[in-house]
Amino acid sequence: MSQIARALFISRKDVESYYSKPPLITWGLLFPVVLMLAVYVKNPATYLVVAPGIIGMTLLFGNTSMAAIVITWEKRSGTLQRLLLAPVTHRTIVLGKVVSAAAYGAATSTVLTLGLVVLLKMPMVHLPVFIVGLLAGAATFALLGLIIAVRVREVFEAMTLLNFFRFPILFISGVFMPLDALPAWARPIAMVSPLTHTVELLRFGVTGRSWFPTPWIPILVLATMLTISWLLAGTAFRRHANR
Amino acid sequence: MSSDNVIEVRGLVRRYGELVALDRVDFTVRRGEIFAYLGPNGAGKTTTINILAGLLHRDAGQVSVCKFDIDREPVAVKQRIGVVPEESNLYPELTCQRNLEYLGQLYGLGRSERRGRVDELLETFDLTEKASVRFRALSRGMKRRLTVAASLVHNPEVVFFDEPTAGLDVPSARTLRELIRTINRRGTTVFLTTHNLAEAENLSDRVLILIKGKVVTEGATDEIGRQAAGAEILSVVFSAGIPVDALRAACPAVMSANITDEKWRFEVANVHQATMQIVAWAEKSGLTILKISTETPSLEEAFMAILEKNSAGSEVRR
Repeated sequence: MSQIARALFISRKDVESYYSKPPLITWGLLFPVVLMLAVYVKNPATYLVVAPGIIGMTLLFGNTSMAAIVITWEKRSGTLQRLLLAPVTHRTIVLGKVVSAAAYGAATSTVLTLGLVVLLKMPMVHLPVFIVGLLAGAATFALLGLIIAVRVREVFEAMTLLNFFRFPILFISGVFMPLDALPAWARPIAMVSPLTHTVELLRFGVTGRSWFPTPWIPILVLATMLTISWLLAGTAFRRHANR
Repeated sequence: MSSDNVIEVRGLVRRYGELVALDRVDFTVRRGEIFAYLGPNGAGKTTTINILAGLLHRDAGQVSVCKFDIDREPVAVKQRIGVVPEESNLYPELTCQRNLEYLGQLYGLGRSERRGRVDELLETFDLTEKASVRFRALSRGMKRRLTVAASLVHNPEVVFFDEPTAGLDVPSARTLRELIRTINRRGTTVFLTTHNLAEAENLSDRVLILIKGKVVTEGATDEIGRQAAGAEILSVVFSAGIPVDALRAACPAVMSANITDEKWRFEVANVHQATMQIVAWAEKSGLTILKISTETPSLEEAFMAILEKNSAGSEVRR
């Protein structure tokens, strides 16, 4: 049986154990829905400006948090060690964990998107680009969550470390403020933020417009970031998973 | 590697910073035996298991498990071994059946083979009725049984047991020991670490004692006792109390004597010579010998003797 098949078994088990629980689904949806409503109630005409950002933010917080919670919980309970004793490579475990966390984030973001489309008549100009942004962002954020969580043993430690990068990039990645409105010094930082490229792909999918002249730029940048995160996650897992 | 050896370890070294946890450890485990790997806390037992199971890297030495180098081919080794850690590490939120099935998936068992194996293991470990109960809801004894069952899901060649009966009540520990014997009788090699020396003596074919990361002795279980004590024990019950000084004066082969519940235990240099001298002295003194037998020093006595001998040594080398 191939390592990919075993990775999918790991993902399925994680979805069964963690991600399909109603409290987690509610938790993943509640915050973005409330935020979206607040924006919509304030000015219904401008909700479309922030909607892609809020979907991207849902992916960022949902995926990094879930990957972190699952890894630290399994480290503490010893079940991660159980997985390390099985005939699977470290990359197989990383793939299994990331696929399930990404699936969770993509699913909650999809529910939010469907709600916006159905209830607020949000357009969807380029669905394939939107899907690419959703999946690439979900996978990258899940990998980032795993890279950080595998180094620590407690959920709060993982969350603290994650917040060091999550909150700053929230304000420079075009979620609440267009990239054009950013100060000049912040733009280079925005370009290395995976959230920027995720949000711009989602924006292109929803409105057909983006800060970038073509969606291929954020697609290529996100693909590069995904590859780097994948390599870093494999190394971090090998070094820290059994500590 | 000899075809009879399932594990071969040569010059194994593992350091934690300056601390030398394993210092040029050598041993082999033969196919089909129960091998007890003993030592006090901090001796390096769990470190060894973690290296053999691919959880930890070594700093030096050669480690071959089921003919594969664990560092070069970890997946091949893990496919052939089972590990029962000190703390049960199954998924608390999954049922007994799902835990075993999931592990069957990870070990590459096909669907029908997996189902058959899960049912067989649940039955063998007397857990069929608990098949749909979550792992977290089981008693400690049942958790241990399921953890052992989980280590066997893929029919491994070797199973590592790290303190298998620690924290179990007497009946559960006894059941588990029986299961270990059954597993071994079916041809699986057992690598056992335990602080319960009676358990090790009772179960194992061969024993290795590790102190401060170094192998201090290795051999057949009964041989270790004799080696360590450096003498044999003659146990004698007399018809009445004896003047022990007079006996020792008349029996030079007796090295030391102590009494427990009217039974004298004499440490002797030569059993035959000592028996002749004691029988002759008893006849001369008008005493009847009600019972006389030889005793091999227990593994615990041997272990304590070895520990005392080594306590004069330095602390773990830094």
